[in-house]
Amino acid sequence: MSRAEQGNGGAKAGAGVNGNAKSVAPLRVSTRTVPRTRWIQAPAIVRRHEDEGAAHRWLELEAPGSFATPLPGQFIQILLASPSAVLLPRPMSVASARRRGGRCVMGFLYAPVGPGTRLLAACEPGSSVEVLGPLGRGFPLDQPGIPVLIACWRGVAPLIFAARSLAHPSARRRGRRAEFLFGARDRAHLVGLEKARREIAAVQGRLQLATDDGSRGIRGNVIDLLERLAPRLAGTPVLHACGPHAMLKAVAGWALSRGVRAHLAMESVMACGTGVCRGCPLPRSRAKSEAFDSASTPSLWGNREYAMCCTEGPVFEARDLDWERVE
Amino acid sequence: MSRAIRPRSRAPGMTRAPRFRAVGPSRERESAHAIDLSTRIGPLELANPVLVASGTFGYGDEYAHVVDVSALGGVITKTVTLMPRAGNPAGRIAETAAGMLNSIGLENVGLEKCRSEKLPKLRSLGATIVASVGGETPDDLVRLLEALGDEPGVAGFEINFSCPNVAEGGARYWADPSRLEHTLAHLRPLTRGALIAKLPPDVTSIADLAIACERGGADALTAVNTFVGLALDLDALKSKLGRATGGLSGPAIKPLALARCHEAVRAVGIPVIGSGGIESGRDAMEFLAIGAAAVQVGTASFIRPGASSTVLDEIREFLASRGIARLDNWRGCLRDLGQGRA
Repeated sequence: MSRAEQGNGGAKAGAGVNGNAKSVAPLRVSTRTVPRTRWIQAPAIVRRHEDEGAAHRWLELEAPGSFATPLPGQFIQILLASPSAVLLPRPMSVASARRRGGRCVMGFLYAPVGPGTRLLAACEPGSSVEVLGPLGRGFPLDQPGIPVLIACWRGVAPLIFAARSLAHPSARRRGRRAEFLFGARDRAHLVGLEKARREIAAVQGRLQLATDDGSRGIRGNVIDLLERLAPRLAGTPVLHACGPHAMLKAVAGWALSRGVRAHLAMESVMACGTGVCRGCPLPRSRAKSEAFDSASTPSLWGNREYAMCCTEGPVFEARDLDWERVE
Repeated sequence: MSRAIRPRSRAPGMTRAPRFRAVGPSRERESAHAIDLSTRIGPLELANPVLVASGTFGYGDEYAHVVDVSALGGVITKTVTLMPRAGNPAGRIAETAAGMLNSIGLENVGLEKCRSEKLPKLRSLGATIVASVGGETPDDLVRLLEALGDEPGVAGFEINFSCPNVAEGGARYWADPSRLEHTLAHLRPLTRGALIAKLPPDVTSIADLAIACERGGADALTAVNTFVGLALDLDALKSKLGRATGGLSGPAIKPLALARCHEAVRAVGIPVIGSGGIESGRDAMEFLAIGAAAVQVGTASFIRPGASSTVLDEIREFLASRGIARLDNWRGCLRDLGQGRA
């Protein structure tokens, strides 16, 4: 169960990244609308598992070639080898994904904070788990505008992945420049900072830091960074954010009050992760609820009142949720 | 009606019993497919005893790319109510030791969408469909069966008398033998399909409810739904669920469910479908041994979407490895367990 345990979210970039002010139309229809590939459940081998600092771990799993490559913002259900002391798989957003020898290698940044993630943290390289995915819909990185990636604490995981996909040659050719805003309580909690720095450098973007205590970057939070950045941007920003819900609420509020598009990677306790158990509802905004059309809504998505985090999300547009009721 | 399933008098370990055909290990796999798993639930002839439990398999098509639903004994749909239900607020799932609590609150698309969209999809997959229906009053159920009773391709109905997570028409409301009997008597003429009553476990006597359902005209029973449970977050000082309590499922409840299923089996002549914590073929064989006619795989599908197929394969392997050619020769072999002892 736990996105709650892991405390991060997820992301995807369609190939058609297009942020330059002269051409506003996206090059292709967003890949978010319908998942392009179906999830499968498959065995996976732990290839790397190491400390990432601040009590976090970096995990790399190798899944078979039949496992589709996840997109930034999507997540995977990780099931420990049985018998296991925990019953349910753990949903985790993907921090990196690549093909190696036809196989799918995925990276995860997480903290062992609950019973499941503590058991996972004890898995040595060479041991086996099961993975189910890719699941959910990620960040629509192909939307026109200047991508501003906003991360708080371990919510950085899917944004490291998002930054990497923006660095894809097809995106670079279009002169896409990204901004990366990263905040945490203090410098020690800027987990995955070096990975984020590397990826954002590859996209010729800027990384700006904020800490509550001022031990790194500005003293303040990511909203303060956003306030400083916004007037200096050459075009319209599109926000992609992941972090604690309190931070996502603040980002959503900032974006909604300025008419800026924001995509927020949400968390929920989950059982199945595939839309079947109906266990991860998020309250829809009134506008979204009123416009809800059951006939055109895929069967595993939510209903008029609630969206399902696992299938419609985990990345939601700010205007789609009722932030007052998000816990 | 006569019982389709008769208890055997022999212990399961006695694989040399004359009724068992000897099967050599080298032919085990081949013979596993020759084993007769046919299962009778009232008017329903199922190819095998493995069904998927309501609420754990969507409307049946959601897992179709990983499970051949036409190979299962049957698919029990998510409970459908007259009108769509949005379900309970967030805090619907909490993991517990070897189990999980849910408080979904019967979220479903409602009768009309179920009939116009969900059932046709499931029919096209060749599944044996058992529609789960739920209501807050006997009249709700009558209206549902009036609408769906003759629906083509729907082989039966499981009446959800036991949801622990709704304010009205939940397990407590229905845990009344005379209400059950009268309601089923009203429903009985509305369908020629199998009429199955799903019972709650949190009652003083599941036998009393089972007998009432049989008298009312049910073809079969499902024993059992989830157990009411509570899990707390001591840091936030609140329930881990949004609605305080939820329904406990998973391996934690298997012994509890098995005991109640056994009690129901012994109380009635109609078939009882066992449900509760079944993850493997061996789990299923326990329910079948105490006399369950069939089994339902529920929470296990959340963890491994292919769990129902695995359970079916393992049932075959279990019987083949013991040289048992017909499931009927196993069913009920421990039905009389505990009889004649103080």
